[in-house]
Amino acid sequence: MKRLVLTLLAALGQAAAILFGLFLLFGAVPGDVVEVLAAAGDLDDAQQAAMRAELGLDRPVLERFGGWLLAALGGDLGISQRFGQPVGPMLAEAAQATLELAAASAAIGLGLAGGLGLAFAAGSRLAGRAMEALNLWSIALPTFCVGVAVLLLFAVELHWIPAMGGLLAPALILGVDNAGQLAKPLAEEVAEVAARPHVTVARAKGLAPLHIARWHILPLAAPVAVSVAGVMIAGLLGGTLTMEMLFGLPGVGALVLNALQGRDQPVVLAGLAAAALAIVAVNAVAALVQTALDPRAR
Amino acid sequence: MSKLWLAPVALLLLAFLGPGLAPLDPLDQDLGALNLAPGGAHGLGTDHLGRDILSRLLAGAGTTLLVASGGTALALLVGALAGLVLAAAGRWAEALGFAAIDTLRGLPPLLLGLVGLAALGPGLAPLVLTLGLSYAPLFAHVARTAWQREATADYIAAALVNGAGPVRRMARHILPNAAGPIVTLGAIVLPRCIVTESVLSFLGLGTAPDAPTWGRMAADAARFAEVAPHALVAPVLAIAVATATCALAGDALRRRADPLRAA
Repeated sequence: MKRLVLTLLAALGQAAAILFGLFLLFGAVPGDVVEVLAAAGDLDDAQQAAMRAELGLDRPVLERFGGWLLAALGGDLGISQRFGQPVGPMLAEAAQATLELAAASAAIGLGLAGGLGLAFAAGSRLAGRAMEALNLWSIALPTFCVGVAVLLLFAVELHWIPAMGGLLAPALILGVDNAGQLAKPLAEEVAEVAARPHVTVARAKGLAPLHIARWHILPLAAPVAVSVAGVMIAGLLGGTLTMEMLFGLPGVGALVLNALQGRDQPVVLAGLAAAALAIVAVNAVAALVQTALDPRAR
Repeated sequence: MSKLWLAPVALLLLAFLGPGLAPLDPLDQDLGALNLAPGGAHGLGTDHLGRDILSRLLAGAGTTLLVASGGTALALLVGALAGLVLAAAGRWAEALGFAAIDTLRGLPPLLLGLVGLAALGPGLAPLVLTLGLSYAPLFAHVARTAWQREATADYIAAALVNGAGPVRRMARHILPNAAGPIVTLGAIVLPRCIVTESVLSFLGLGTAPDAPTWGRMAADAARFAEVAPHALVAPVLAIAVATATCALAGDALRRRADPLRAA
């Protein structure tokens, strides 16, 4: 219980620090939306200053941060400076696309790595090799390269998948990449646990390999895997960005990247804040699950 | 020990010698020879602006390794120093410092890179800076673990009895013993820097056009992959070989440093 409260408090502190950091950074972005508009039309200096004052861009950073945070807590994320629409619904729509992709990828990644880990723990050398190969794949091949290759082969040449908007291909690409990240530490942990005396005893008793894997090896290897899985799912929010750009999915990453190029500060801030909060939450959940799985850490 | 340690050495050699070995000017555009397939005067073909891919690959080795090793070195120095000093300071300084470090560690490098480059603008120095900052927390943790292990060892007590001050104990006694795991982590972080840089380039946040990295080449070629797939294959293969060998070498180093897992 104390652990739970501490973890939640730490997560809250982290979230606040990250939000403030983001706000500081994007208060300092060179150029603002007024300059972008001025470059497009012909606003003179006085008109620019008036516009800045109207948008509140001339007030001190702390004041703007406080105002933004209070409004955001009330559900008001401001108005997009480029599109004149409320940011909240824009973000909600984008978040749905990103969450779908992230959930599908995480399920594929966890399933693949977990299944191989179980087979490896049950003594399959083939599964061990596959885990090594998956790990190298995820280290050596940036997902956008795989994505381009998949698009060329399956969308342009074979017409099996749509070039824009399909979910299956990007989810598979990210899932395999994630499985590779997870496979390495899981395989090492399984190999280490499998060499311990209690596993030898279990084998000597003639227990079935799958039973040993499930009840004698995986419970000890799981906490490490969970902490890596937390990092992996947090990292997914970066991976989805690449896939959104490649496969034309209207997600948070695409929203933020487009807003960055247009210096649309409310959208950038809301998008990054949402991503950061999601990541802090994932990390906190991973820490809690890890403690729950490992009685010694309680 | 396998010969894997040769891989990073070979990469470094390539980074130094590559730009000199380029047969043609890597920035020279030949608009009469766009998207040429490999063979003939252009060994690996030309890209969408008619630039010689082989020359760009060789010249890009320097920039790629400069960014990746710069980011790794910065992360190592800043992270290890912060980890050691904070661990040695103990108490609230350690708790507060590592709370900040853990906050940074929780964020994926790609997101940090995106934020950093958006705030600082694209270019070599901001790239190295954000990569360094993204990976520094890993080094801080390894350094703290090493310090905690060494600080209670008998030889530190002996040094203390001999009148060695905190700086001397750190520099002469603890650092040499903590160096192994820190350098090993460096070998693991280096390939990650190469890949992170390539993804940032793909998102339009990488190096300037006149300082191409392999990542930037791949990112540019990705947009023309339909007409010139060979322009994508070459840098991707270079990235894949470099990162995979570095990762394997780092792994071998780590196994050797860890007798429990040296099976």
